[in-house]
Amino acid sequence: MVEKYDPQMKNHQMSAWLDELKQKLNHMDDAEIVEHRMGTSASVYLVYIKTLIDPERLNETIIQPLDRSAGDSLSSCITNAKVSDVISIDDAEQKIMQGFVLLNDSVNDQWLGVQLENPLGRAVEPSQTETVIYGAKDSFSEQIDKNITMLRRRLPISTLKTESFTIGSLSKTKVVLLYIDGLINPEFVSLARKKINSVDFDQFLDSSQLAAFIEDHNHTVFPQFLQTDRPDACAYALGEGKLTLLVSNSPFALIAPITFFHLIQSPEDYFLRWPVASFLRLIRYGSFVVSLTMIPFYVALTTFHYQMVPLPLLYVLLESRSKLPFTPFAEGFFMIITLEIIKEASLRMPTKTSQTLGVIGGIVIGQAAVEAGFASKVLIVLMGISAIAFFLVPNYQVTKSMVLLQILLLILASFLGLPGIVIGLIGILAHLHALTSLGQPYLAPIAPFYGKDWNDLFIRGPLIWMKTRPKYLKPLRKWRQEMKK
Amino acid sequence: MVPYKHYGLLAIVGLMWMAGCSSPYVENNKIEEIAPVVFWSIDKGTEGKLKISTLVPPLIQEKKRLLSKEVDLLKQGGQEFNLIYYRELKQGQLRMLLINEELAKKGGIEKLINTILVDPDISMRVYLLIVRGDFDEYIKNQLTKQENQDYFLYRMLKHYEEHNQGEMSIVNIHKFMKKVYSPFKDPILPVFHSDKNNFNYVGTALFQNDKEVMVIQDVDDNIFQLLDNDHFLKVLAIPKFSISLGRIRSNVRMKLSRDYSSLSLHVGLKGRIEEYQGESNIQSEELLQHLIHEIEVYLEEQTSDLLKRMQRLKVDPLEVGTHSLKAFSKEITDEQWMKHWENMKINVDYDIKVHPLINGAVDVFQNK
Repeated sequence: MVEKYDPQMKNHQMSAWLDELKQKLNHMDDAEIVEHRMGTSASVYLVYIKTLIDPERLNETIIQPLDRSAGDSLSSCITNAKVSDVISIDDAEQKIMQGFVLLNDSVNDQWLGVQLENPLGRAVEPSQTETVIYGAKDSFSEQIDKNITMLRRRLPISTLKTESFTIGSLSKTKVVLLYIDGLINPEFVSLARKKINSVDFDQFLDSSQLAAFIEDHNHTVFPQFLQTDRPDACAYALGEGKLTLLVSNSPFALIAPITFFHLIQSPEDYFLRWPVASFLRLIRYGSFVVSLTMIPFYVALTTFHYQMVPLPLLYVLLESRSKLPFTPFAEGFFMIITLEIIKEASLRMPTKTSQTLGVIGGIVIGQAAVEAGFASKVLIVLMGISAIAFFLVPNYQVTKSMVLLQILLLILASFLGLPGIVIGLIGILAHLHALTSLGQPYLAPIAPFYGKDWNDLFIRGPLIWMKTRPKYLKPLRKWRQEMKK
Repeated sequence: MVPYKHYGLLAIVGLMWMAGCSSPYVENNKIEEIAPVVFWSIDKGTEGKLKISTLVPPLIQEKKRLLSKEVDLLKQGGQEFNLIYYRELKQGQLRMLLINEELAKKGGIEKLINTILVDPDISMRVYLLIVRGDFDEYIKNQLTKQENQDYFLYRMLKHYEEHNQGEMSIVNIHKFMKKVYSPFKDPILPVFHSDKNNFNYVGTALFQNDKEVMVIQDVDDNIFQLLDNDHFLKVLAIPKFSISLGRIRSNVRMKLSRDYSSLSLHVGLKGRIEEYQGESNIQSEELLQHLIHEIEVYLEEQTSDLLKRMQRLKVDPLEVGTHSLKAFSKEITDEQWMKHWENMKINVDYDIKVHPLINGAVDVFQNK
């Protein structure tokens, strides 16, 4: 609830607030309460946290103008920063914690706040998680205002609305909900608003934590909010009729509603020639299936279905497996876990030691495992293909969760063979079918079926054919072309 | 909330679908514990028994040995092999079934083949071979000479089956049984001769149902390849005229008279002269035409002779009987057809077109 400024409070606020603020800022080394003498006999109290504000700007904006002033009111002295009233002691505390400098105006007997937040943050850098060859190279950073700027520059329209929320009892994280008014289905906005308002937790350090609170299904490996640090991907999604959530101190925006197929698509798909983009997209879908099923297939064939292996390949399999001490399942499981250990280590290790890891990983996986009789040569080749295929899926979160699905299929394959893999795949499909993202079906436009949206599903059709926005999003403005409005 | 009913629904659909395709109880076949056999050789045993042999371990670089058992039933053989060998023998990768000619002549191989055919583990693409001589002796002798002899034998059959080589009649059990059960069609099988050191193609065995009645070889087999099997021959050597025709493609047209009393068989051949060692000057157009005419007459005689033998033995591997089928008319029975076939008058006409014997093999002269 917004508190109103009450003029009756004036008389006792000066001294009472100062005492109260002193108490609140007790044991805070970086909190400063400074009495500054102005040119005249009057003195001004400055209350701020020095680690949150920009000292240079403090000097330029407040100290120097105050020294030069000749009995003017405080607000008229400070000209190159926005001065706002402080309406309550809680507001005063909040403002201090947000990088404001509070000043008491003894003339008018009131407290004023000047925002001098230290613009600490990194420069705009290329995305590390979603790299593209063509397309814009900028990516979001931790500063939410900068991120909004990037989106506003891409969509310079007044209908791009931003709504702010503050979540987290400790972190006081700012969340901005962005959407294009008059285009997006209003249901999505109201649902998102409702969900964000109902969030109750202490700390939010990343947007993924927010996603965990507002997503429809928690117990799944599939993300229902697309996390991206690419402003172009966000702008495209907004233009399609989706909404975007920006979270302060997190370079990753959340896009919703999404479908399963968005996880396999890359922003670069829209920058390449359509046959090339379609081909790459098909390869990505293929590699998704290959990476999931290749090792389980190996286990199923070598454990149960030797009949299905072509004779020359059976020859190779028999040779490579004839002296191994482990069952195909144990061998496959052991190798998957080893690969995960190496992948995880390569992420956590300092970059300078990554070369050592590469060599050790290569030798352990490639050579030593075979020579020691731990794994067959065929499995090593399959592991290699499957590991590379994992990385073709552009969404890193999905890449990580796919390992779990792979292990699930591996276990099913080791018990039931190919029927096990089929049961597993049916289960995954059924699970995907049951998922929703912001209330929208996760397998759209396949189930429910929207024929026109298939133009941008498995293939990326020519842009000139994509005349309408995705139908499953039920946008208010169907046509992308102005003429057809 | 999520419609979780879909999970159950889809799982049920999936299970129903799978129940139609495969058994949910999978058999443990860890490949390091089994020995998938590639061939079974079936011979006549003593006291009316069957003698079954196979090579173990198949496809592994271990010392190989030939296992042989005398059994009453085919499956019994597989079972008894397991008792004398440390890996379980599996038939899922069976690729060749070699049947001794003595057995084939006796008839009744249909039952043997049916056993293989109905086994869900075994593919339909098992090659069927008739072996003249002792195959076991050949394999035993080859054990020390060449590794994986069984695999190479399979590759040879696969090569001649797939690439339309026009060299051998290669038949799998599906093709064979299809012909056994179809009216107006008599099956064929390739015949191989085997002794201690050799294993070579002899010709094509013609079957009356499942009983071998004749074997055609050499020129007759070549003619058979052109008439029916491949309609292609890589080389047709005719020593009588010192000539080899190469890459011959045939176009066979059959016409039955309305009362099934006569058949006119027209065979158009296109190919090139690849070798000539005779005295005639084939550079001369006239002499070349004369030579070709002589070849045509020779082939007509040979073909007529071959067909007569088929008529005499009441076999119709060329499926001439299928030409009696007409739309909107009742088909004749197999027995009726055989009666007609036996007494049919057959006119054979060959028409050979050859490319001239020059480099580059241009069609200029032929089109003159």
